[in-house]
Amino acid sequence: MEYDFQFAKVFTELPYLLGGAWLTIQIAFIAFWGGAFLGIFGAIGKVYGGAIARGAIGAYVVFFTNTPALVQIFFLFYALPEAGIVLNPLTAVLIGMVLNSAAYLTDILRAGIISVRKAEIEAALTIGMRPLQVLSYVMLPHVAKTLFAPLSNFFVWLMLGSSIAALFAVEELTGRAINISTSNLRTIETFVVTASIYILLTIIASLFLSFIGRTVFRVKAKVM
Amino acid sequence: MGHLEIRNLHCSYGADDILKSVDLSVDRGEVVSLIGPSGSGKSTLLRSLIGLTPPRMGTVELDGEEINYRNRQSLRHLRDKMAIVFQQYNLFQNMNVFRNVTVAPLKIKKRDKGAVEKTATELLDRVGIGDKHQAYPDELSGGQQQRVAIARALALAPEILLLDEVTSALDPERVNEVLDVIRDLTRDGITMLIVSHEMSFVKEVSTRVAMMDAGSVVEVGPPEQIFDAPKEQRTRDFVGKILRH
Repeated sequence: MEYDFQFAKVFTELPYLLGGAWLTIQIAFIAFWGGAFLGIFGAIGKVYGGAIARGAIGAYVVFFTNTPALVQIFFLFYALPEAGIVLNPLTAVLIGMVLNSAAYLTDILRAGIISVRKAEIEAALTIGMRPLQVLSYVMLPHVAKTLFAPLSNFFVWLMLGSSIAALFAVEELTGRAINISTSNLRTIETFVVTASIYILLTIIASLFLSFIGRTVFRVKAKVM
Repeated sequence: MGHLEIRNLHCSYGADDILKSVDLSVDRGEVVSLIGPSGSGKSTLLRSLIGLTPPRMGTVELDGEEINYRNRQSLRHLRDKMAIVFQQYNLFQNMNVFRNVTVAPLKIKKRDKGAVEKTATELLDRVGIGDKHQAYPDELSGGQQQRVAIARALALAPEILLLDEVTSALDPERVNEVLDVIRDLTRDGITMLIVSHEMSFVKEVSTRVAMMDAGSVVEVGPPEQIFDAPKEQRTRDFVGKILRH
């Protein structure tokens, strides 16, 4: 191969790329917590709700887990303006990713809710807890502990998946990598560096999450 | 008027009638034990009293005040005064021992932190878990977990304590450490309803014993009557069977 690697041209752009990486982390964070917030109510509705609530949540989950996130965001970005709702690219990506992760998290968290021992809930009720207190003091800590590994993996998955934002000209890590490669024309070098940054991000996130898991939630299983 | 008056109480799981007209009056400070064969409704009676399986019919009065099991306010008021300890301890697995005991008074009742922690420390000392405040339930033996569960139930200073087969899940050598704690509590004058298969213990601590069969109370009397001179044939059969060995 007669290719002359010129990494120096990419390294000068490193601060610019890292700025994009920071936005990647923020997008994943919002997609995760927004999705988790909606997902916990979705999961509770699916476990304890009536037939109508279960049906509606089920339809939501089926729709959002059986269509690509990209298509969903396209819809938000290009179809909603016809109804007078104009979203900027980042907002469209965030809403799309939150709605999408809410659907996946509804299913993931449902498994956690089901695994809470009924007896612990009864004990909580008999010492006077109200339903929301049972949720926050008994159910959510149990769910966070038992599902810590899959939830951590889901966060990493969101971090990588947020690269679809680049297609809407959002300047997260992939978006900025595309910007650089189209101006310096060192495509291979640019994406080698970009991929390395992604790997670094996931390693850091995994180590951090496994630390949180062990210290806060007494998770014994390894995240990484 | 008794501390707790149960009249014509009915309770069902689905189509099955578990309690069929239970009448029982318990005075303040009494220790009443419920005995009887499996499925006779002893545990259901306790669960029903604290509103986990609400009664279908009949009345329960606490200090002359009728409890409305369908009203949240009334139910909370009841649970301020009544606590239950379960067979399987049912501690909160995600909280350490100290937090298991303090979470209700601190977070639910919003009581003063210093006072709550002082009470919790005293209670845990009393049940012999004073050295394990930071331990999690899965790090304790069954007997230790059950003693923590008793401390948790006492943390809200209930007037009535329900004990639902609290030693049935324990290893035989752990039974006594829990019974010792309960024996100690009976001296406090707290009203207790005990479901137990430890007949010698029941005989020793109870002021009265209620024999249950097929969802109702068939005979109530002091332990000497129930165990030595039962009036009902059903009690005679049951007591005869369990005391034979």
